[in-house]
Amino acid sequence: MRLVLASPIATATRGEREISLEFEGTLDQLFTEVTKRYGNGFRTRIYDGQGTLRRFVNVYVNGEDARYLKGLETPVPRDATVDLLPAIAGG
Amino acid sequence: MGYVRGLRCRECGAEYPATRLTVCDACFGPLEVRYEIEAVKEAFTRGALAHRPRDLWRYAELLPVADEASRVDLQAGFTPLRRAENLARALGLRNLWVKDDTVNPTYSFKDRPVAVAIAKAREWGLPAVGCASTGNLAAATAAAAAKAHLPCYVFASAHLEPTKLLLPRLYGATVVPVCGTYDDANRVALITADRHGWGFVNINLRPYYAEGSKTLLFETWEQLGFELPDAVVVPMGSGLLLTSVDKGIQELDALGQVEDGHTRIIGSQPEGCAPIVRGFESPDGRPRPVKRPASIAESLAIGDPASGFEAIQIMRRTGGFADAPLDAEILEGQRLLARTEGVFAEPAGGTTVATLKRAVEDGRIGRDERVVLLVTGNGLKTPAVWNGVLPALTPVAPDPAAVDRFLGGA
Repeated sequence: MRLVLASPIATATRGEREISLEFEGTLDQLFTEVTKRYGNGFRTRIYDGQGTLRRFVNVYVNGEDARYLKGLETPVPRDATVDLLPAIAGG
Repeated sequence: MGYVRGLRCRECGAEYPATRLTVCDACFGPLEVRYEIEAVKEAFTRGALAHRPRDLWRYAELLPVADEASRVDLQAGFTPLRRAENLARALGLRNLWVKDDTVNPTYSFKDRPVAVAIAKAREWGLPAVGCASTGNLAAATAAAAAKAHLPCYVFASAHLEPTKLLLPRLYGATVVPVCGTYDDANRVALITADRHGWGFVNINLRPYYAEGSKTLLFETWEQLGFELPDAVVVPMGSGLLLTSVDKGIQELDALGQVEDGHTRIIGSQPEGCAPIVRGFESPDGRPRPVKRPASIAESLAIGDPASGFEAIQIMRRTGGFADAPLDAEILEGQRLLARTEGVFAEPAGGTTVATLKRAVEDGRIGRDERVVLLVTGNGLKTPAVWNGVLPALTPVAPDPAAVDRFLGGA
């Protein structure tokens, strides 16, 4: 699968804005994998203290907002693209 | 840089210098520009304003552009504040004004925030600009980019009204018609701008962009004789215009320019896309995202509004409210505004009229309140909403008797 991060979030992945991973599972498990690779700074960057995603972080699985799917339990297929972006929309 | 003190996160309060930050580095919350208010006080006086150009730069001390050469001179702003006596009478109000932003250079209020954002893009020497748009922003960004000799990329839903896809192309922009909703277009625009280092006005230039919208409020204050209204009705897409109106009021207050009174801020969305209104009605005050917006008010069709939570807090704090009229009421609002005041607004304008109508009828707005309606876009951009609403015209022979028959024997 492919993880795409916007610059403000990629500070927690040593500036890498596109990451390829051999992975299949849920979003939560994916972020645990990424945390293993880049350190706990990644987790604290996108999660709040209650173990949920920060309010201003949006996650999309194959272009679908995870809030309309199963949130952090959304399945991530082997060939998926996951976008991790700050919530900025509209003018 | 001029009167700017720096950026501050509206969520967690973290402060930063006024650089090219998009969101708060700590929590990704929205950033806002802060000013050296004591220094602004010296220069931002009623006497000084009287001698300034009649465009949005007359409020330069409270806009984050220090370098005058970077401004794009399309003369946005200083639009009419129309005393709307006929509409007031029709609705049962005594004091009503229409802030008419249908007459801006590209026919919507978006020329205001774009003027500031493009100036920042030039100040920073960005290679290209762009936006994700529900329509009005597309034209505003493209026109300003044309004047600034900057390449421009506009991301919009491929299903958008033809006029709104046509205008940016005429101004020379590259339009990227995205299969999907505005929110889909916004997502890919964000990633594209990030990859190429382009300045997208409502995405990575957003903290500066937001400042331009405040000038709607500053003008209203000045045109009302340096007074604020009791209530202002604001159309909401992302909610950013509403938060900007509030910021404008707060800044005037900090400058000692608001003598008394208190302005209620009222937000309006179409029923077919009302994530902020539904959030306002919920105990937790969180917007309720809409996956598939369905309304004729396409310029407000943002299903996942970035400034929604703040807009809800502001409406609650100021004693305002939120409402979501139906499409039929929105059309009726457009028609009423046109027939009473001669102002042809797009459906977003009809949305604010319809909200006001409901609120006067059920008493949420008192008949003696001094109300300002923000009418932010021109009806000529969205002619298709009238298809089938008015009966078709039957041609008349060039003959006085035929005309009489056509007029029903008059």
